[in-house]
Amino acid sequence: MLGLQPGSSTVVPTSAPVGHRFEPYDSNGGSIAAVCGKDFCIIASDTRQSTGYSIQTRYKPKVFRLNDKATLATNGFAADAEAMVSRIRQRLEWYRHSHGRSMPLHAIARMISTILYGKRFFPYYVYNILGGLDEEGKGAVYSFDPVGSYEREFCRAAGAAQSLIQPFLDNQIMFKNQHSTPEHTVPKPGEMSLPDVLKIVMDSFTSATERHIEVGDGLEMFVVRTPPSAQGEAIGAASVDLKAMGGVEAVGGEDEQEEGAVMVIRRELKKD
Amino acid sequence: MEALDMNRLKKGEVDLGTSIMAVAYDKGVIIGADSRTTMGSYIANRVTDKLTHLSDRIYCCRSGSAADTQALADIVTYYLSLYSVNMDQQPDVKTAANLFQDLVYQNKDRLSAGIIVAGWDKKNGGKVFNIPLGGGIFEQPWAIGGSGSTYIYGYCDATWKEGWGKEQTLEFVKNALSLAMRRDGSSGGTIRMADITEDGIERHFIPGDQLPELAGKIV
Amino acid sequence: MTSVAPQKSKSGFDFSNYSRNHFLDGKGLGGFTATSTGTTIVGLIYKDGIVLGADTRATEGPIVADKNCEKIHYISDNIRCCGAGTAADTEFVTALISSNMQLHALHTGRKPRVVTAMTMLKQRLFQYQGHIGAALVLGGYDATGPQLFTVAPHGSTDKLPYVTMGSGSLAAMAVFESGWHKDMEQKEAVDLVVAAISSGIFNDLGSGSNVDVCIIKKDSTEMLRNYVMPNERAKKEQKYGFAKGTTRFTKEHIYSMIQKEDVFEVGSTAPTPAPLPAAAAGAGGEETMDTS
Repeated sequence: MLGLQPGSSTVVPTSAPVGHRFEPYDSNGGSIAAVCGKDFCIIASDTRQSTGYSIQTRYKPKVFRLNDKATLATNGFAADAEAMVSRIRQRLEWYRHSHGRSMPLHAIARMISTILYGKRFFPYYVYNILGGLDEEGKGAVYSFDPVGSYEREFCRAAGAAQSLIQPFLDNQIMFKNQHSTPEHTVPKPGEMSLPDVLKIVMDSFTSATERHIEVGDGLEMFVVRTPPSAQGEAIGAASVDLKAMGGVEAVGGEDEQEEGAVMVIRRELKKD
Repeated sequence: MEALDMNRLKKGEVDLGTSIMAVAYDKGVIIGADSRTTMGSYIANRVTDKLTHLSDRIYCCRSGSAADTQALADIVTYYLSLYSVNMDQQPDVKTAANLFQDLVYQNKDRLSAGIIVAGWDKKNGGKVFNIPLGGGIFEQPWAIGGSGSTYIYGYCDATWKEGWGKEQTLEFVKNALSLAMRRDGSSGGTIRMADITEDGIERHFIPGDQLPELAGKIV
Repeated sequence: MTSVAPQKSKSGFDFSNYSRNHFLDGKGLGGFTATSTGTTIVGLIYKDGIVLGADTRATEGPIVADKNCEKIHYISDNIRCCGAGTAADTEFVTALISSNMQLHALHTGRKPRVVTAMTMLKQRLFQYQGHIGAALVLGGYDATGPQLFTVAPHGSTDKLPYVTMGSGSLAAMAVFESGWHKDMEQKEAVDLVVAAISSGIFNDLGSGSNVDVCIIKKDSTEMLRNYVMPNERAKKEQKYGFAKGTTRFTKEHIYSMIQKEDVFEVGSTAPTPAPLPAAAAGAGGEETMDTS
């Protein structure tokens, strides 16, 4: 028998109840990262989905195009992520029906926050990073915790290899722990060119693949920018020929798409 | 009174979720076992030999923890070989069974081992001893053991008769084990049997695809 | 005596870490995790002997601790042992049994047998009731022919013609169950072992990097370290050098590690050294310090 008998202080429970409870959550590994520049934003993820020591699939996208100016990266519990993205997309569609335009990035960020907090006591176990362009056309990254706390940043890594990637981005993107000398001036954060940021993102993921068992298989880098056609002559990020780097048009989310606004560059990662 | 939880295996331990049996007959004894060893739901060995040699004419059938029963059998084997050298004669089946009983009883809080000792000796002929979990000892004309045995108590009670010969006994063991293996998830694979008589040991092997199909095939 | 100063243990053992760990445990800290070789290890018997195989990844939780570790351990010239589980346990238990096997061989004057190693291993692992977390594949060639065993952490053993162990054992066994047959040729056997380990490397997250193979025959043992390397690092997109002075510092110590010694021919007279300027006087091994 379990428990204490009245009047007895020496009886100790000798067996604990054993039973199997339904576990509503899983952790599906993988990692995501986003970096913004002056007039662009890169949102990247690996494509492996795993549970425990086994791979569920080698290709499951974790980054989703929402519209021409917003892309969302999700990480944590894949089923919750899926449910969240479809809810967000539904809300974006409703917004378009009632306002006749896409929801601006800062509004999407606040909306995601309220959706997450709406499940404060049964949270979506998802770490979100929202990347895109703000209403001034500047690159923006918003990062969230699973219950809706959020902030705007220059760069953010999340997921399994957050502890591996974030310090690297802090050093290479934010130039943390780097100091100017008379011979060499450390640049200011947020002014790096699109190709340079792409290189850092690729190296982040190939390195994370080396040292984290849940990261690998494939890499998807979404690039959000003011499309080349919208400008008279292509300058800044718009002048970068992403197609030459293997970039293709990103699809999904809202129907209206401008060519070159959101593109995705795919790379292979190690599969062990 | 709290019951001691002796059935618990240590975490990650290799289990002999088993069907084992031994039946004495006029000339000696027939022992039999399935061949499945599991670690959780994984079959770690599908052709295990659970009929373990102890001395010239004594074997045991092991059930419970693979590590515990192997260690016990090794110790008893050692004692029996020492006995045969010191006494200049082969040990009785009873002697082997008592050695097991003592080890299992003295270490009941540490072991999960259910063992059937069977064999032939000059004095008593074919004998079967059952040594279940707590370290008891029971001499029986036939014994069944392991997780699969629960499914075949009725069958064995209804079928077994005294005075059988070798062929009838072999058939009984084969049928009983295949029934147990069909119903028990942690038993299966093949059937291994051994006929222990004065003349020696005769091994029988029935592959998994040649198990007897009994009346009312289980789907 | 009222003093509670820690007493030195008379036995020579130091138990101070025990109370520290107990204290840490009570605070919800502590809990030391060992490096585990979430592993794929395999072995099979073929026509002329044994082929053993192993991956080379060692992990600490989800982090890769070593990308190219050795999991096929030496027992004797004709016996090798693959280890899975707690890295330190596999390392030490195999080293100990290797040592005892050599002593045993010296004592008996015979070539060591695989069953001897197997018995030593199982008795030691049983004694420790699973606390030595070593799951082993033991293979070798002795007077009785090719021998192959698995030893589980609690001390149970199995004798089979083809075996797998570790977190990738299911992936590897699937390959063996479909590909193994009796009396395989050496090339066929090695290829199957490579396929089994590769299956672990690519399908089990605990296994990765390279394939190590070991072929043991009647009178030869061949250790093929990094026999296949299917996971070489992708080339980085750029170099990450830093300009000198990028890292700030508060203190600087410069030690002169140079020892000056004058050597003279026997019988010759030492030349009188020229007087040194005061600043250089400390150069002969003393430190100079500069605080900027």
